[in-house]
Amino acid sequence: MSSNLLNQDFGSDEEEDDFNPAPIDDSDAEEPQPPKAVRGYHGVNDEDEDEDQNGDDDDEGGADANDDDEDDAEEEDAVERPRKRRRGGVHNFFEEEAGVDEEEDEAEEDEDELAEFGTEMHPDDLDALPAGAETDDRRHRQLDRQRELDATMDAEKQAQMLKERYGRNRAAATDALVIPKRLLLPSVEDPSIWGGRCKPGKEREVVYSIQKRIEERPAGSRNPIRIISAFERGNIMQGWFYCEARRQPDVTDGLEGINFYYPSQKLTLVPVKEMPDLLRVQKSEELNPGGWVRMKRGKYHDDLAQIEEVETNGLNVTVRLVPRLDYGMNDDSAAMIDPKRKRTAASAIRPPQRLFSEAEAKKKHAKYLSATSGLGGKSWNYLNENYIDGFLIKDVRISHLLTKNVNPRLEEVTMFARGGEDGAANLDLASLADSLKNANAEDSYQPGDPVEVYRGEQQGLIGKTVSTRGEIVSLQVTEGDLAGQTIDAPVRTLRKRFREGDHVKVIGGSRYQNELGMVVQVKDDTVTLLSDMSMQEITVFSKDLRLSAEMAADGQLGIYDVHDLVQLDAATVGCVIKVDRESLRVVDQNGSVRNILPTQIANKITPRREAVATDNNGAEIRHGDTVREVQGEQRSGVIRHIYRSFLFLHNKAQAENAGISVVRTTNVVTVSARGGRPTGPDLTKMNPAIAGQRPGGRGNGAMPPPQRGRDRLIGKTVTVRKGRFKGLVGIVRDSDDKTAQVELYTSNKPVLIQRDILAPKDPISKQPLDMGRGRGGSRVPHGGAPPSRGGGWQGGRTPMSGGDSSRTPAWGGASSARTPAWSGVSGSRTPAWKNDGNRTSYGDGSRTAYGDGNRTAYGGIGNRTPAWNSGSRTPYDTGSGYDAFASGSRTPAWGGAGASAAPPAGNRTPAWGGLPSGRDQRDYDDAPTPGGYSAPTPGAYGAPTPGASAPTPGAWADNAPTPGGAFSAPTPGANPRRGYDAPTPAAYDAPTPALGGAAETPGAGYGDDDAGPRYDEGTPSP
Amino acid sequence: MFFLKEEAKVITLHPSYFGPNMREYLITRLNEEEEGRCTGDHFVICVMDMVDIGEGRVMPSSGHAEYTIKYRAIIWKPFRGETVDAIVTSVKPTGIFTLAGPLSVFIARKNIPSDIKWEPNTVPPQYTDHADQVIEKGTSLRLKILGVKPDVAAINAIGTIKEDYLGPL
Repeated sequence: MSSNLLNQDFGSDEEEDDFNPAPIDDSDAEEPQPPKAVRGYHGVNDEDEDEDQNGDDDDEGGADANDDDEDDAEEEDAVERPRKRRRGGVHNFFEEEAGVDEEEDEAEEDEDELAEFGTEMHPDDLDALPAGAETDDRRHRQLDRQRELDATMDAEKQAQMLKERYGRNRAAATDALVIPKRLLLPSVEDPSIWGGRCKPGKEREVVYSIQKRIEERPAGSRNPIRIISAFERGNIMQGWFYCEARRQPDVTDGLEGINFYYPSQKLTLVPVKEMPDLLRVQKSEELNPGGWVRMKRGKYHDDLAQIEEVETNGLNVTVRLVPRLDYGMNDDSAAMIDPKRKRTAASAIRPPQRLFSEAEAKKKHAKYLSATSGLGGKSWNYLNENYIDGFLIKDVRISHLLTKNVNPRLEEVTMFARGGEDGAANLDLASLADSLKNANAEDSYQPGDPVEVYRGEQQGLIGKTVSTRGEIVSLQVTEGDLAGQTIDAPVRTLRKRFREGDHVKVIGGSRYQNELGMVVQVKDDTVTLLSDMSMQEITVFSKDLRLSAEMAADGQLGIYDVHDLVQLDAATVGCVIKVDRESLRVVDQNGSVRNILPTQIANKITPRREAVATDNNGAEIRHGDTVREVQGEQRSGVIRHIYRSFLFLHNKAQAENAGISVVRTTNVVTVSARGGRPTGPDLTKMNPAIAGQRPGGRGNGAMPPPQRGRDRLIGKTVTVRKGRFKGLVGIVRDSDDKTAQVELYTSNKPVLIQRDILAPKDPISKQPLDMGRGRGGSRVPHGGAPPSRGGGWQGGRTPMSGGDSSRTPAWGGASSARTPAWSGVSGSRTPAWKNDGNRTSYGDGSRTAYGDGNRTAYGGIGNRTPAWNSGSRTPYDTGSGYDAFASGSRTPAWGGAGASAAPPAGNRTPAWGGLPSGRDQRDYDDAPTPGGYSAPTPGAYGAPTPGASAPTPGAWADNAPTPGGAFSAPTPGANPRRGYDAPTPAAYDAPTPALGGAAETPGAGYGDDDAGPRYDEGTPSP
Repeated sequence: MFFLKEEAKVITLHPSYFGPNMREYLITRLNEEEEGRCTGDHFVICVMDMVDIGEGRVMPSSGHAEYTIKYRAIIWKPFRGETVDAIVTSVKPTGIFTLAGPLSVFIARKNIPSDIKWEPNTVPPQYTDHADQVIEKGTSLRLKILGVKPDVAAINAIGTIKEDYLGPL
């Protein structure tokens, strides 16, 4: 026996140390004991106990116990005994553990000792005892041993033993693990369960009182309660409790006189089948410290909270919240006293979430504040709430918490991050990710999303989502060996996969919702993207992202989009630079940034791509051109909007204001035109034949008289064609460009009606007047004029300006385009015209005609002339400085060449979209021009409009008698292409009468001619 | 990456150009309109030659003539992963804006090596590692394109210099 050998050695070692002589060499009787005890330790059966008993007897008698154990152990024991005896008395109270941890052989040895210590007594102790006293503590030791035994038995066996002893379940007779579950289900032989009604909410109390009653009257007593068990299901079955019993009378007896029990309601027998359902436990949401929940009510309603601690009762948890405190700043003293009022005040104004600050609390609420000693960190008690490290620590009931679909947002969570400067340092991303995983998969995973299995068996798989069913996502593997296969994976094991450079959209769960951007970094579950809009880096969870195919930067609030131009009030427009969920951020024309609500926006200004302005050099700038500021910050950017004299520029490299800046048109120079738009001539203006015609044509035909004075519709009898008032007749009392105030015959009350649904009528005959002639008539001739004039070639410009009434309020609006004088002189045109002409030459009209003429002429000529090619549109610009432009006031009008000029220069017929009035002004200023047109022109053409004729000479120096000095420069340039010129005179001559006629002579001007008389005379139209 | 691509373009010509120099005019027009154009997918760098100018067709009612010109052009289509040289156009705290030829590439701060830091106090502001690497306006950079985002008539790209052999040249 190796162990014996070892013991031997050990023993001899000890003997050397042994300087204390053994007091008593008691007997050999104990020798056989140890093995018994060993068995006693390891065994748990009754046999062992018996043996122990035997052992004890041996002790008592000091007899030689001849046990079945081997005798060869004797010798060693004999050697060891003295040492052991030495310890014996003290070791009576040795815990058996002392030996357990030793090595095996040693343990054996110790066990020997243990077996022994029961048998031995120190001689001193023996002496101390009275002579007849029972020297043995057998009983104690027996009890001890029994306890030891119990303790050493492993729990399972113990449980089994107990079950054998006390179990009444038939299943308990056999091994529970072996029995299939279905056999454990209740059968008809089992006691039945009756459901009883009680007061809702008092179920538990009923059960308690039943329990108490069972204790009071147990089974053996005189009047036993025969209810076997009682239980309730809490909130699931409110107002119900259940009793298990053999017979119904047992239940009724047992329930007699129980509080809150409703005996009047019959007991319901629960069918055997339903019994298991009754006891099925709904696995409650497991709450773990560090997890996220949301508050359901109170001041912190909907706020995110982190679980600090879960109470063992499973009902309460301690949560950590970011406090919402106003530190009494919003309370007046009265409110302070009245708690009710205070509460209402608090609910009215919800303070923002901020960490607790004792400094602020001390300001007004010092008396409510007290420091408490916390374990590290700052701990305060304020208004009976505890604040640790700035957070509110609060005990709440689980029922007051939202534990599912918490969806913590990153920015919410970062508030909870302690310590770290950037907020992310201490963030428990794992727990966050877990709570996020609980979010419903169907929302975040959509077919086609690239996903990656990042844990579980299939870790590392990469694929695309095919479908989602609850928590299971089917994905088609795209990479690796399994490529092409479709596999299912639980949502928990998935995460969306993005590559750097992917263009993505934030889909939800974050305040960055709807942002578009490009992925710059992917780190586990978080993705950093660079917003297209703000060029800012955003970090979001990958589950909140989707690949985006959208091109343009998105971000919409209703109809408003980033970079839209919106009308804020009559005088202010702004460009949207940020769209939040509820508000917009705009930069207005003065460059100031403000936050507005969508309701504060009058309307959205649809971008007019054709809008034209002039830059500092007088060059044409349009939407999409790149310009740079001349002075100031030298900002540059692409023109997004042109509004009057303001440009909204967009510069991608500028982070603030979403890249939008506001500049004045006068303060920029063109850097490059959009899409390589030829900065040179307009090709459509190239035909010299028409170029030649232009001035005359323009001058004659299309000049609309400025629309001043009364609206012709006013005072007219009209009928309403549509709407609520359809068919009613009334008189127009007032009107503007869109609506008219009509006094209906029927009700003597003026009503506002859209103009376009009004039809003028003859007040007497009630015959409809031709509306087109009557009101919009003015438009028609102008629209029609170009063909008559230029054979359509210059049509590009003229109809555009003329036809598009929307652009020119004055034009479109002042329905009676004509001046009263004009229209008034129905038949005899000439005076009226002349009148008009006069005005033209000195006033707006002249400018109009002139300017336009010029432009055309240059368009035509410049093409070919060096002057033109030099880059600037207008020879004036290059020729004689910019004084006119520099004069500033002019420029808008000129800039308004396009639409935008119209409003500021209202009285200048904006209809002449193209006209550079600045230039005209200069023409006036410059000596030659006025001379050019005031006197000679009429002569030259015999045309009545000096304004019209004026440019002509300029353009066609050869034809024109005018000494158009200003024009002389381009003209030579034009001459080289005389080949083209040849036809010109003809073309020119031919149309002239027509043109002239179109405008002024009744005979030729079919448009006006028809219009005037018919309208005025009220002739019914055919 | 550069490609030689054959494309076709329709050019309408006003009758006033009908004449002996029409062909030259067409070519000029084509060059003017095509070269430097961005389709949102690629840039047309240079029109190499005309494969076929074709016969003009006069369109009814307007008198304009329509020419379908087949031409070959060198185009550049930027790809993800492509390494290009670029010139810094501006330097912002958020990153570096560069131009690689016609393509604007943005290098986000995350894609700049961590030892190259934003230094706003210098004039002009720069990114520097306080050694030999200084990135300011006008610096030549070698960068790798991380992602390309096509737009209607432009391409935006983001790039990185956070790799070996990338950075200021």
